[in-house]
Amino acid sequence: MSLAHETLASLRRRLAAKEIHPRDIVKDLFTQIDAREKTLHAYTHLNRESALAAAEKADLSLPLGGIPIAIKDNLNVLGDPCTCSSKILEGYKAPYDATAIARLRQAGAFFLGRTNMDEFAMGSSTENSALGVTRNPWDPTRIPGGSSGGSAAAVAGRIALAALGSDTGGSIRQPAALCGCVGLKPTYGRISRYGLVAFASSLDQIGPLTRTVEDSALLLSALAGHDPRDNTTDLRKPETFLTKPDGSVKGLRIGLPKEYFLPGMDAETEGSVRAAAEWFKKNGATVGEVSLPHTPAAIAVYYILATAEASANLARFDGVRYGRRATDARDVLDLYQRSRSEGFGAEVKRRIILGTFVLSQGYADAYYRRAQKVRGLLREDFEKAFTQCDLLLTPTSPEPAFRLGERNQDPLKMYLADVFTISTNLAGNGAISLPCGFTQSSLPIGLQLIGPRFGEETILRAAHAFEQSHDFWERMPPS
Amino acid sequence: MAAPKLNVSDVAALARLTLTPEETEKFSAQLGQILGHMETLGQIATANVPEVTPPAQPALRKDVPTPSLSVEAALSNAPAQANDLIFVPKIVE
Amino acid sequence: MSSSGTWEAVIGLEVHVQLRTQTKMFCGCINHYGDAPTTHVCPVCLGLPGSLPVPNEEAIRKTILTGLMLGCKIAPVARFDRKNYFYPDMPKNYQISQFDDPLCAGGGVGLDPFLFPKEIQDTDEAKAGRTIRLTRIHLEEDVAKSFHFEDRSGIDFNRAGTPLMEIVSEADLRTPGEAFAFLGSLRQVLLSGNVSDADMEKGQMRCDVNVSVRPVGQKEFGTKVELKNLNSISGVRRALTYEIARQIAACGKGEAIAHETRRWDDEAGATFTMRTKEKAHDYRYFPDPDLLPVRTDQGLMEAARTELPELPAALQARLAKDFGVTAYQASVLASDRVLCAYFEKAAAGTSHKAMVANWILNDFLATQPDPTTTPVQPGFFAELADLVAGGTINSAQAKKVFAELIANPTSPKALVKKLGLEQISDSSALGTYCDEAIAANPRSVEDYRAGKTNAINALKGFVMKKSQGKANPVQIDEILKVKLSA
Repeated sequence: MSLAHETLASLRRRLAAKEIHPRDIVKDLFTQIDAREKTLHAYTHLNRESALAAAEKADLSLPLGGIPIAIKDNLNVLGDPCTCSSKILEGYKAPYDATAIARLRQAGAFFLGRTNMDEFAMGSSTENSALGVTRNPWDPTRIPGGSSGGSAAAVAGRIALAALGSDTGGSIRQPAALCGCVGLKPTYGRISRYGLVAFASSLDQIGPLTRTVEDSALLLSALAGHDPRDNTTDLRKPETFLTKPDGSVKGLRIGLPKEYFLPGMDAETEGSVRAAAEWFKKNGATVGEVSLPHTPAAIAVYYILATAEASANLARFDGVRYGRRATDARDVLDLYQRSRSEGFGAEVKRRIILGTFVLSQGYADAYYRRAQKVRGLLREDFEKAFTQCDLLLTPTSPEPAFRLGERNQDPLKMYLADVFTISTNLAGNGAISLPCGFTQSSLPIGLQLIGPRFGEETILRAAHAFEQSHDFWERMPPS
Repeated sequence: MAAPKLNVSDVAALARLTLTPEETEKFSAQLGQILGHMETLGQIATANVPEVTPPAQPALRKDVPTPSLSVEAALSNAPAQANDLIFVPKIVE
Repeated sequence: MSSSGTWEAVIGLEVHVQLRTQTKMFCGCINHYGDAPTTHVCPVCLGLPGSLPVPNEEAIRKTILTGLMLGCKIAPVARFDRKNYFYPDMPKNYQISQFDDPLCAGGGVGLDPFLFPKEIQDTDEAKAGRTIRLTRIHLEEDVAKSFHFEDRSGIDFNRAGTPLMEIVSEADLRTPGEAFAFLGSLRQVLLSGNVSDADMEKGQMRCDVNVSVRPVGQKEFGTKVELKNLNSISGVRRALTYEIARQIAACGKGEAIAHETRRWDDEAGATFTMRTKEKAHDYRYFPDPDLLPVRTDQGLMEAARTELPELPAALQARLAKDFGVTAYQASVLASDRVLCAYFEKAAAGTSHKAMVANWILNDFLATQPDPTTTPVQPGFFAELADLVAGGTINSAQAKKVFAELIANPTSPKALVKKLGLEQISDSSALGTYCDEAIAANPRSVEDYRAGKTNAINALKGFVMKKSQGKANPVQIDEILKVKLSA
């Protein structure tokens, strides 16, 4: 079997036992990439030579020694391109490492390549990439999800062992669900955002996409912790996650938010997720209904706050200090307008306009400030719910992967599909998506477990127990 | 909340974007729909929202220098540079 | 006092002060002026994708200190906001500033009479002792520096991110002289707290002015005009003088004042309309999500309090009371803390403190010394003062000693011996000199005896010359008077 099909944990054991060498892993991965990348188009850049060179110098005594990781194209890796799948960053080469990248290096990992995404992380299908679409490994006529679609497709398609993604409104979890792999969005403040190209500063988090929960915990342990370069990172002491999982969910209190199980939802999705809830009940957890009453407002709150922050975060892309600059600009205004209009795609422009509008004079109170207040109410919903339960259990996505091109002309419909993931970012809690079933047509279905803030250990233990009692994680997409 | 007047061209100008007439029309329709959805916020009572108390110890930075980028690295992505300055068309006050 | 009897000017100032910190406001790049371009930049102050700001604790402390020195109320929780606008000297096209929750509110700047322009220090305006109220003080980051060439502009990002304190006054000022004094007085306070060097010519303190005119007695403000490009404290005064006159003249003709920004041209001596924008900027302020709110009540305020210096007004009062210096001298000393500390040491060793003050502020200062490294020990001044007071040398001789002291810093006692300057106080020797003077100046003797008492000066001068300046002036005065009345 190709080494590309194995988990990080098992490869680490085999490396330690000297059964394999890091270069074997890299070679197998590139063989798989050569076979499948043409169809999937998960990558925007491959580090063929540098990955092999790093494999030769790997320090196996480190927790991730010898392990190559794929990196979403919005994370700065010194010397590599960083395009955010946008034309405006064509040719841009990162002059510094993101903290998350530096931590991976410190843990002994190195980089396989950079994965495709929705431009500036704005999207749920990776169709907004200026560098071409990525395809779902389970059905290449369908989307892989977004915005970390490339990362999810690579991991699920066995052309990456693990990948980093970013999640602002579901961008790790939803593609993980649609591609049948594990995606973790940590609690806000858990992992440093320094070096992650910002979309929405109060919502963005970096997180791992992996085949298993154990691999997810391995990466989280390497990445988490306060960073003096990121004022929003939490000051608590570093921890190692999922060190001694006992596979038990006895006594765990699971809450099913009633607002996440609406009449008329996709039957197969609902079926798989309810079956998962049953599993927890059968194995000693208590499962009950809870309420997150402000859920119907979440999409509005999100698209006001996220676009407002994004409109400011993307103002720096102006052709002055870096990135694509319009040629023969008449004056500074012309330079700004043409560089930005030529460089940004439609979805990015739409969101910048919306975000600028909700902050503008005369409208900021009704939109931005009101949304901030409702965000506070959403946070309170979660806090109240977690007095009654230890974890929330929900579908990750209202439906499995739809077909490419089916929805990209209807932005509102696209936004409404974020309903199950978005509140978690607004509240700042951590959540995981893991496979819990397949549709009749073999499309993956994802289960989401949401925890109280900084409750990743609880999330990972429960997810791991569920995962190991099922074989969803072992199913591979067709070659 | 009354239906808002979003003038796409005006707002785009604030964001230093110029749109084609087709884009302006398409965005107006799409954003109009999206803003329509946001009317739901108007119905929510926001009188008793809890104040978020900031954490006790902000992680401030001590006033000690850390390494800067080399001049080459700083200008490595600059579209137009000379004499270690970044150049733009003449700025008129 | 307004220039024309029926109009008065209403002036408010917005002052930006660069803080004296090692590093920039939101990153660890060095905060230093005048180095080669692009040598102090990093992903944060260059606005590279993925960079994040982290606030400089020292900059916050210095701002709180400034607020304490100026009597402001310090906010228990302060927040940073994004001020959104596009400009090539802006690395992120938003500036991190403070809008709703600034660090300091209220407070005021007392106008030091000696910091009014010299020629009006003797007026009621200067002596009024007004305090100009402040609206707020907040903290933000500075922008990059542009250099304009014929067909393009070059930008150096070294300055981008420098900690900048914005001090906004209420519209309490009424004259260009007051504005001049305000800036000087504010600068004194900033220097005393080691907050900034506040040198306008180095761009460390920048000032924008808002000025309008209204008929005396009217409550409503006139139309406000903003003035920019004011590069020195006296430039502010000149610009205001011109602009107030311009506005009054226009109003007098019944013309409307345009609400606009005007650029002061120091060479031309006039203000000119800058390119007007029809709409006011919509800065779309919102709280910066990358920065946690700053709690000042968890140690920052206490830390700032420990750095509170003796404020200029208090220092001046103490100098006048304890050292007997004049109000003017006190103001000069208060404006230079290093010199002042040196003076206090020097004057400590003698009861003739005013004498020490004179030497230090006149003779010593003229040599452009560095009081921290000068080999002229503070103790030498005390010694010198005692020598003069005790009659060993006279004040003219003291000047000679002092000049030698600068060249060869050693004990004045030793120098007096070395230069052979001991004052002659022996009455018979002095008597001989006086006799010679009387013999040589019959006309002066006659005049004196005729009632012209000043004629004695010529005789005294003769004695001083003959004695090579060593004669004790008090004694020869007595001896001559006795001889002349005989």
